[in-house]
Amino acid sequence: MDVQRYISSGILESYVFGMLPETEQTEVEKLVSQYPDVKAALDLLQQDKERFVQLYAVAPPTGIKNRLTEIIRQENTEDGNKLLPEELRAPMNGAKHNGHQVPGKKKPDIEKETPIKYLATPKSSSDRLWKYLTAAIVVLLIGSVVMNFFFFQKSTDYKSRYKSLIATKEKLDAEKEHQALTSSKETTAIPVDPDPLSNPDFKWTQLQGGGAYAGKSVSVGWNAQTQAVYLQAKIMPLPPAGKQFQLWAIVNKKLVDAGVFDTGAELTQELQHMKAVAVAQGFAITLEKKGGSTEPSMNQVCMSAKVTK
Amino acid sequence: MGATLTYTEVELIQGLLARDEKIFTYLYDHYSPALYGVALKVVGEEAAAGDVLQEVFVKIWRNIDRYDASKGRLFTWMLNITRNTAIDSLRSKNHKLDQRVQDVNSVALMYEPQLAVHLSVDHLGLSKVIERLQKDQRIIIDMAYFKGHTQEEIAKSLEIPLGTVKTRMRNAIIQLRTLLKQL
Repeated sequence: MDVQRYISSGILESYVFGMLPETEQTEVEKLVSQYPDVKAALDLLQQDKERFVQLYAVAPPTGIKNRLTEIIRQENTEDGNKLLPEELRAPMNGAKHNGHQVPGKKKPDIEKETPIKYLATPKSSSDRLWKYLTAAIVVLLIGSVVMNFFFFQKSTDYKSRYKSLIATKEKLDAEKEHQALTSSKETTAIPVDPDPLSNPDFKWTQLQGGGAYAGKSVSVGWNAQTQAVYLQAKIMPLPPAGKQFQLWAIVNKKLVDAGVFDTGAELTQELQHMKAVAVAQGFAITLEKKGGSTEPSMNQVCMSAKVTK
Repeated sequence: MGATLTYTEVELIQGLLARDEKIFTYLYDHYSPALYGVALKVVGEEAAAGDVLQEVFVKIWRNIDRYDASKGRLFTWMLNITRNTAIDSLRSKNHKLDQRVQDVNSVALMYEPQLAVHLSVDHLGLSKVIERLQKDQRIIIDMAYFKGHTQEEIAKSLEIPLGTVKTRMRNAIIQLRTLLKQL
């Protein structure tokens, strides 16, 4: 064997610093016993290692020495030995195997060692307590984070559900209001005047057409107290396209707008609600553009009549 | 260590075999800082390192009859017990719980100059040597010796061929030897 080459291969360094697998370790040990040069190189490396690890030397905590002295003292007496935990008592005969092996374990000696459990020092037992406490706290923290997340999700969910409920409620309220408005229009319009035709408070004026409107007739009912005005287009033609008939109240010889109305066969019996009129000596009807005019077209008066006192 | 020792290795071994408490105390006084330093470097935590140290000295006391001088000096033997006990402790279930904490500590400790209070090496020794040791060589020694990694694990972790690991280790030790001589 080329001893120098073996020595310079790095296997001895790897052996000394404990990184060889078991089989290679055995091989090194065999060669060391065979070749003095290898043995010499190994001794040097071991001294290197001894010097190297001393660089890391740190004074151990005080107290360990006293405990150790106690242990070996007690061990020397048979009674003392029995006082120790079983695993610390002096070995009687034959050594058990150490639980698991460390890769790079160097000496067979160590394999034969009696397994010795840790001596529970007060420091380490309180450390263990702290470890468990820390673990518990970490678990609690994680739990709390998870719960936070969960409840946050839930609260967001509730928030959005709450918002949609509010929206629904507002919509319903709006609808209700709308309905109330429309119904109030209807209820204030008609129920206030349950039946204008038979209500004595309504004065009915018959407007008879002349000229082009001869034979045509419209009756207008006016309640002077409520100012409500109803119109019945009994016999009236449909207006020309783009035109509409408009009712005016005659107040001090002036015409005041009382609203437009529709005509036709279906509407002859229909009571049409007109604009409120406070004062009226009579009523007149003109033909106006669709939607009505603010000023009456005096050349288009179809009919008029005085309110009977 | 030589100058301050008042016992030879043979005397120490014989004293231990004779259950001499004084020798045991002497051994503790002179070797515990180095052994504790190794344990601390491996387990990375003082309380666990103290447990390891205590266990190591009980083992030395119990198993001195198994010490084989042909395989190395007493100190080497004690170092081996220490390293193996510490690595066992690191890997035992007791330490799995706070493995992460230890890893953080040991990474922090790895390149942190520590106070070395041992006999012949002045306290500046470590920082001097560690500073001058190239980073990848430091890493390979640390991984192998203090973390107990096999060469396969080191090859994988450093992404180098398996055959290169031994060469790297040799170069690291050669450099280390040169630096140690300068101290």
